[in-house]
Amino acid sequence: MTVTTILPGSPGNTGATLRRNFWRGVGRVLRRKPSRIAGVGIVALFGAMALFGPMLYPAHLPRDNNALYAAPSLAHPFGTDFEGTDVLALVVTGSRYVILTGLATAVITVALGTALGLLAGFHRGRWDTVLMRITDMQLTIPGLPLLLVLSTIWKFQGPLEMGLVLGLLGWGGVARAVRSQTLSLRERGFIEAARGLGLSTRHIVGRELLPSMAPYIAMNVLIAVTGAIYAQVGLFFLGVLPFDSNNWGVMLNLAVFGGGALTSTAALPYLLAPLLAILLLTLGIVLIVDAMDEIFNPRLREE
Amino acid sequence: MKPFAARGGLRVNPMTRRLAGHLARGLVMIWVVTTISFVIIRNIPGNPVLGQYETLIERGMSPDAAERATAALYGFLPTGTLWEQYTGYMKALLHLDLGQSLSTPGTEVVTLIGSATKWTVLPVLGGTLLSFVLGVTLGVYAGIKRSGKLGDLLSISGSLLHGVPQYVIGLLVLAIFTTLWPIFPAGGPVDVEFVPGLNAGYLASLVQHATLPVLTYALASYGGWVLAMKSSVATVLGDDFILAAELRGLSRGVLFRYVARNAILPLFTILALSLGMLFGGAIFIERIFNYPGLGLLLVNSIGTRDYALMGGTFLVTTMAIIVANIAADLFYAVIDPRVRTGGAA
Repeated sequence: MTVTTILPGSPGNTGATLRRNFWRGVGRVLRRKPSRIAGVGIVALFGAMALFGPMLYPAHLPRDNNALYAAPSLAHPFGTDFEGTDVLALVVTGSRYVILTGLATAVITVALGTALGLLAGFHRGRWDTVLMRITDMQLTIPGLPLLLVLSTIWKFQGPLEMGLVLGLLGWGGVARAVRSQTLSLRERGFIEAARGLGLSTRHIVGRELLPSMAPYIAMNVLIAVTGAIYAQVGLFFLGVLPFDSNNWGVMLNLAVFGGGALTSTAALPYLLAPLLAILLLTLGIVLIVDAMDEIFNPRLREE
Repeated sequence: MKPFAARGGLRVNPMTRRLAGHLARGLVMIWVVTTISFVIIRNIPGNPVLGQYETLIERGMSPDAAERATAALYGFLPTGTLWEQYTGYMKALLHLDLGQSLSTPGTEVVTLIGSATKWTVLPVLGGTLLSFVLGVTLGVYAGIKRSGKLGDLLSISGSLLHGVPQYVIGLLVLAIFTTLWPIFPAGGPVDVEFVPGLNAGYLASLVQHATLPVLTYALASYGGWVLAMKSSVATVLGDDFILAAELRGLSRGVLFRYVARNAILPLFTILALSLGMLFGGAIFIERIFNYPGLGLLLVNSIGTRDYALMGGTFLVTTMAIIVANIAADLFYAVIDPRVRTGGAA
C-alpha cells in the first residue's frame, strides 16, 4: 500500500492521462500532414461501404439487356458489365466480402501473432525456438502457391472462412515483429523498474509492454490485412475458387478472362472500377501506416 | 567472441558451420514441403490416384498394369498402406521423378517444369535487376532528403507501388498498352510464325512479348527497393562514423559513398530472397500476360485438376525459395565482414 502513496495519483488516473497523451500525439501526427487525414477518411469510407453498401441495393442487382457494356453515364458512373449490371453497384456490394475477409484475418493475426510473439519474446527458451522455426517455415513457403494448392482440397465458403485460412497462414510476420519488439523492450529501464517493484508478469505484459507496442502491432496488422485482401481478390481473379458471391476478384476475373473487357475501350471501365477501388483502399492504408510509423518511430521525425 | 571455438578444442570455421546449419535447415524444410504436397495430393476429394487406378481397371486393364500406369502418373502406387505410398513417393522424388502429366498425356512433369522455368527466370531476372538499380539509386536520395518535396514524392510513390498488388499493376499495364494504346502484343511468349533460334524476327518477337511482363515485374518491385534503401540510409546516417566523417570535413561525394556502401548491404540479402520469391509471385503476371512460366503452369494444373503437375510445380517453386534463402544468407556473410567474423548464428 505504500507504493500507492508514492505514485502521484491512482493507477486509473495515470492510465487516463497516458491515453489522452497518446490521442493528442495521434492528432498531432495526423495534422502534420493533411494527406494522413485523407487516409483515415478513405479507410472510413470503405468501412461504411462494406457496412451499409449492400443495403442500398436490392439483393439481385437489376440487369439491363439494352445496356451491355454501356459507357459511363450519370445513371451508371462506371458503365455496366456484360449483363448490363451497374458496375458501381457491383463494386459497392462486393466490398463487404472483401472487407469482411480482411477483418477476420485481422482478428486472427492480432490474437495469434501478439500472443505467440509475446510468449516467445518474454519467456524465450524452448518456446521461442519452436516458434521461430514455425514462423521461418511460414515465411519461407510461398503463400500464394500454397493457397492455390489448398484451394483444391478446401472449398473456401464465405468471407469468414477465407479470412480464417488467410489468418492462419499469415500470423508469422506479426509474431516475429512482436517478438523482436518484446526482446528489445524487456531490457529497457521501465520494464526493469516494473520488475524491481515486484509487479506481476500480467501487469508488466498488459500495462507496460503492450501499450508501448500497440501502434507497432497495429501497423503490422494493417499490413497483414492488406495482404489478406489482395490474396483473396487475387484468388478469385485467378479463377481457382468457385464464384459463390459478388466481389472485386470475381469482377476482375470476368472482366479479363470472361467478358473481354480488354477487346474494346468501351468496356474498360468495368475492369478499371474494381482496380480503382483496390488502389484507393491501398492509398488509404499506406497513408495510415505512414502516420503510425511516425507515432511509433520518433527517429523518422526529422527536425 | 567465439563460444563454439573454445569448447573441446574442435575449431570449426564459422563459415563452414554456418553453411552446414543452413543446409540442414534447408533439407528439413524441403522434407516438410514434400510431405505437405504428398498429403495434399493424397487428400484431394475423390482421391484421384485411386480413381485413376479404378478407371483403368474398368477399361479392361489388368490390376498389375493399371497399378503400374497409375504409379507412373503420380509417382507412387495407388494401393498399399499410406506409409508405403509415402515412402514410394519420396523414393521417386529422390530420382527426380515427379510423375507424369495428365493434361498433356505421356509427358513427364519434370520436362514440363523444365521448359516452363526458362520463361519464368528470364523476365524475373530482367525485371528485378532493372527495379533494383532504379529503386536503390532513388532510395538513397529519398533517404537523405527525407523531408524535401521530391523525397516525399519518392517515398509516397514507392509505398503505393509497393503496396499495390502485382495483379493491379499488371492489369493496368495490360489495359494501357494493349487496349488503350495497342503497341505491344497482349499475350504469349513469342509469335508462332517465327522459327526458334538466333534469327532477328524471332528475337524481336521475343523481346516484344517480354516487354510488358518485365515492365510489370519492375514496377511491382521498384517500390520495395526505394523503401528498403530509404530506411537503410536513414539508419546508416545515424551511425557514429558518419558524424565522425562529417567532423573530419570529408566532402559530400565521399560521404555519399560511405552512406551508400553501408546502406546497400542489407539490400543484397533482399535481392537474393526476392529472386526466389518471384518464382511464386510470378503467378499473377504470367496469368495476365499468358506467359508460359511456372506460375501459369501451376494455375493451369489446378484448372485441369492435374495433381501430379500441381504438386511438382509447387515443390519446385518452394525449393527455389529455400535455395534462395540459403544463398542470401551465405552471400551476406561473404560481402559483410562483420557477419563473417563476429556472429555465430
